[in-house]
Amino acid sequence: MNRQKREAFPAGLYGMLLFALCCLTLPGIFAPVERALVGGLCLLPRAVSAWAGIPAQAAAEPRLLAQLRDLTEDLHTRVRQYDLDVGAPELLRDYTPVLCGVVASERRGRGGGGGGQPSELRLDHSYAELADCCEFVTKGNVLLGFLQKAGRGEAAEDPPEALARVLLLNHASARSVAAVVNLPDGGSLRMVVKPAAAVDPAPLRVDLWDDPYRAANLDRPGLPVTTIALPSLPGEPPAGLWLGRTRIWGYEAAVGEDALTIGVFVVPPFEPRALSHVVAWRRRADSQTAPAPESPLVALRHQAALEVRHAAYVWDLPGAVHGRHLLSCDGPVPDGAAVVQDGICLGTARGLAFGLGLVTSFPASRQRWNLLLLPQQPGLRPREITGQVVGSQNGIAILQWRGDSFDGVDERLPAGYLFTGSNGPHCPPGLFLGYARSEGLPQDRVEVTTASQSGPRTAEVVVGGGGR
Amino acid sequence: MKRWLLWFLFAPQFFLLAGLWRDLGLPPLDVGVLLCMFLAMFAQRSALPWLLLGAAAGRAIVDEAGLPVQLLVLGIPVAVLLPLRSWFFGQRWIWQAGAAALCAIAIPKLAGLFGRVFQQPSQSASLDLVSVIWAALLLPPLLSVLRWLPPLVAFEEEA
Repeated sequence: MNRQKREAFPAGLYGMLLFALCCLTLPGIFAPVERALVGGLCLLPRAVSAWAGIPAQAAAEPRLLAQLRDLTEDLHTRVRQYDLDVGAPELLRDYTPVLCGVVASERRGRGGGGGGQPSELRLDHSYAELADCCEFVTKGNVLLGFLQKAGRGEAAEDPPEALARVLLLNHASARSVAAVVNLPDGGSLRMVVKPAAAVDPAPLRVDLWDDPYRAANLDRPGLPVTTIALPSLPGEPPAGLWLGRTRIWGYEAAVGEDALTIGVFVVPPFEPRALSHVVAWRRRADSQTAPAPESPLVALRHQAALEVRHAAYVWDLPGAVHGRHLLSCDGPVPDGAAVVQDGICLGTARGLAFGLGLVTSFPASRQRWNLLLLPQQPGLRPREITGQVVGSQNGIAILQWRGDSFDGVDERLPAGYLFTGSNGPHCPPGLFLGYARSEGLPQDRVEVTTASQSGPRTAEVVVGGGGR
Repeated sequence: MKRWLLWFLFAPQFFLLAGLWRDLGLPPLDVGVLLCMFLAMFAQRSALPWLLLGAAAGRAIVDEAGLPVQLLVLGIPVAVLLPLRSWFFGQRWIWQAGAAALCAIAIPKLAGLFGRVFQQPSQSASLDLVSVIWAALLLPPLLSVLRWLPPLVAFEEEA
């Protein structure tokens, strides 16, 4: 009887499934067990790989390496150009920029920030490094959010040496912003813009109007909303910064009836998940007593200076046409570390015990990537996008992307060179992935051609210092 | 002890051997489906959790998602098929082919579901009907051979 009961209810199997759920909810506790178990199992393929031949040294032609260096330099220059010189020339008169990399975008609170989107950014600079900066943080001429101070407000428990946090405008605790919208038929409406709820259709919503009657007749979406200066309030952002475009929520006009506007939302032009670089600002008068400001290009490489690159070997696992590789490194491999080969990002690694790791190449991965696209046509603005590979064959990946609406919605991506954006502390922005083109594809797809190699070879594992 | 050593040493490597098999241009073999069928229909019930762990760890070598996701992806079809074992115990080919096809559909679907929920998407989440057909045709005879060989033979439940 007891045996029959045991057979009817396989407690051990259900216990193992429950254990798996616990591992997924508390990954920090169980991750070492997984690393040890899978790492132990990979020792056999690692031993067998010794017969696969001697790993080839990175052997790209110097000309190709020089081209890659030039492309990366061009990317940095254009990011600087569009985030500072073109985007915010007025700010440069009164402030000194500090270009910061974004290490992570985070959702805080239930359902995330306004519009259900991430509402916080972690920068690659510490609170101490940005202590003398103003609160507002921008990208180009767009106001993104407010820099926190260590020990205060949302950062009350953060020490000064921790990575600085930026509350985006859609964060539930972010302050409201005074703004203005210029109406197409002349005149303007002033308003207060505050974070929307997580279930709202956009990250920001208009809270108060200076003329509610005219606001109720506002029925045209896509109008630019910009900040206005409130000199009497300290710490307010400067005037003229762009918040986003209006989105009208209500009923469209029917025959014989007017449109009914229920709410007006503001859609920021940049997707928080896709942000790789933002700009903090020091007031020029303040900076006289502060340390000399670093040049934007130096600041852009701030994160790179914190990186350590470990030498590694990469072997194709059987069936590696599907993009799975075994990695052996001379140091521990953190989860999500970028693996670089001949200056090209092969993919990201899952760290295992015994100095081993498993790498999924970019075309084979299905993770969401933050990416930077450097348009091939000179002078075009670099695009910060998020994307997910939806199909691949022979090193060519089809990427489904979402990006910014800075130049308008439903915009097609120009052809250009694809680099990693900010994908966590161990996969920094600016690692070359491949060439992207979108001709003949749906508007939200691009085809990325990567340089695929086979056989055992040397590589480097990027271990970032952004995990402070 | 020896049988467990053999299981954890060799069962995960089946996934890599399947990769070699495919590199040779032969029809795709889904080792996840094969091991699911063995666990659900023939393995000793008391050994199931640890057998599942070995199989999931093997799948974690070749798949982007982590070990806990693999435990769920392989474990749920086993948990669903296990109560039906008494019906299947006649070991008719048609049952085995049906179970293989069911697993070949369920595993990618579960991989897609858990990949979305736990943000661990992987390439194995795409359902390939050709693989389903090959699973139904190839895996039952292959399993009947493997069940007589180590490490599977040591875990076969006696009728």
